Amino acid sequence: MRPFEPLKPLEEAPRQQAANLPIMSVGEVTALVKGALKAAPRLRDVWVEGEVGQVSISAAGHCYFTLKDERAQIKCVIFRDDRLMMPFEARTGLRLVAQGSIDVFDAQGVYQLYVRTLQPSGFGDLALRFEALKAKLQAEGLFETSRKRKLPAYPQTIGVVTSLSGAVLHDVRRVLARRWPMARVIVSACQVQGAGAAPTIVAALRRVGRWTDGETGRATDVVILARGGGSLEDLWPFNDEAVVRAVAAHPCPIVVGVGHETDVTLAEFAADVRAATPSVAAELVVPARIDEQARLDGYAGRLRATTARALAERRAALNNEKRALEANHPQAQLAAERERVGVLLDRAARVVARRLEIDRTALNRTSELMPALLATEIGAARADLGRTSAALSALSPYATLERGYSIVRGPDGAVLRDAASVEGGDQISVRLQRGEIGARVESVRDSGR
Amino acid sequence: MNTPDQLATRQPDADRQRIAALPFDKALTEFRQVVEKLEAGNLPLEDSIALFEQGVLLQRRCEKMLSEAELRFQRLVEQAGGKVRALDLTVNGVDDAG
Repeated sequence: MRPFEPLKPLEEAPRQQAANLPIMSVGEVTALVKGALKAAPRLRDVWVEGEVGQVSISAAGHCYFTLKDERAQIKCVIFRDDRLMMPFEARTGLRLVAQGSIDVFDAQGVYQLYVRTLQPSGFGDLALRFEALKAKLQAEGLFETSRKRKLPAYPQTIGVVTSLSGAVLHDVRRVLARRWPMARVIVSACQVQGAGAAPTIVAALRRVGRWTDGETGRATDVVILARGGGSLEDLWPFNDEAVVRAVAAHPCPIVVGVGHETDVTLAEFAADVRAATPSVAAELVVPARIDEQARLDGYAGRLRATTARALAERRAALNNEKRALEANHPQAQLAAERERVGVLLDRAARVVARRLEIDRTALNRTSELMPALLATEIGAARADLGRTSAALSALSPYATLERGYSIVRGPDGAVLRDAASVEGGDQISVRLQRGEIGARVESVRDSGR
Repeated sequence: MNTPDQLATRQPDADRQRIAALPFDKALTEFRQVVEKLEAGNLPLEDSIALFEQGVLLQRRCEKMLSEAELRFQRLVEQAGGKVRALDLTVNGVDDAG
């Protein structure tokens, strides 16, 4: 152990320390870093794979861009002559492998990759990541069919998570306004492209999941997550693990429509319903007004038909009852009989009257021709006709009654023709020209025939 | 769903008001039930008529919503404290009035 050194006076200490420190200039440090980098053999010739970020071409024709992955980024330079020799150019979003050396750009104090060749990394790597994440989430059961919720048939409030700029929001709005205008649409905005998009999608989903109506306390009934078409890289945020998990965990049913028909993202696997495009997503979440109108018309037709039928049946039943009642009424029976008799009388009277008229006409004509000669004969004929008429009238039962006859009916109401058909004590009725007599049979005498 | 007895004793005005506030799906479901109940028959005449009148009200409610509705389009904004509010959204952007 070293012996403990005695303390120096305080005021001397800073000066002495500063004199001992190796203070360097900026250039010296930069040169040191540069030398260290150059001394590292692995940095002399590197192959770096990453996604191209910002790209700019200087007036001199050099290309400057960044190459990045999830954790870091490197500034890259392609000098004009190298650039013009290359088979393809660095474009933002492109994933590629750059080959070159690492060096320090003194003037800006940055290290850079001086690119000599560019290779496309191809879609192989993205596909591998896609499959790896898919397998992982599948193993967790995130894509299980049993997890899928049914969409509400008549949603009142629909959440839409997409970018505020672009055609998607417009398309979704147009479809919803046409098909189901009684809905309320709540848009939760997010970015749908670029490296920072995924966290904004997650945040937008959370926001719309948290929202409830101030008055009713109702949340959204269904949510649409949508994005228009683009390259595989453009759609990549929808393969982001956090986004996929947020879709799977969303509190209400969710429809995901990303890209075109052929594009498939993991967010769609996690959705309750996958839509081929954003417009299809909008169509799927609401019923069609025209279908509902047809359904309504159908019910309305049935309502009127069944009510009309019920009323008609009741009316018919009522009429039947009324008829049955009238038919059984004693007065009705009498009236019916009277009517029958009346018809007969009428017919008879008409026949007689016509007869008389014809004869009279004939007689009048004759009397004009030979008045004096046949006067007595005419008078006789007239009397004869009068008798015929009276005889016809006498056919009426009333006429019979008028003449003092009466009709006797037995206990069963049948007209009596034979004394043997009743017994002593039987109740009988006697119909006179006016009124009726109720009577009881005292005794019965046979005619003795 | 109401029994015919309840319908018969219900205040017509109260029922009218209740129906006028029904969301589309509820009104449509009630309408269908009314029709099915009528079609099943075996109802006293007064109940049939009460049901018919209720059916007409339900039909009108649905028709009105189908023909008069206008899509409400809003945007969520987060406020201080994390509260989320919906503001009306025009084609060009958020309305100032919200």
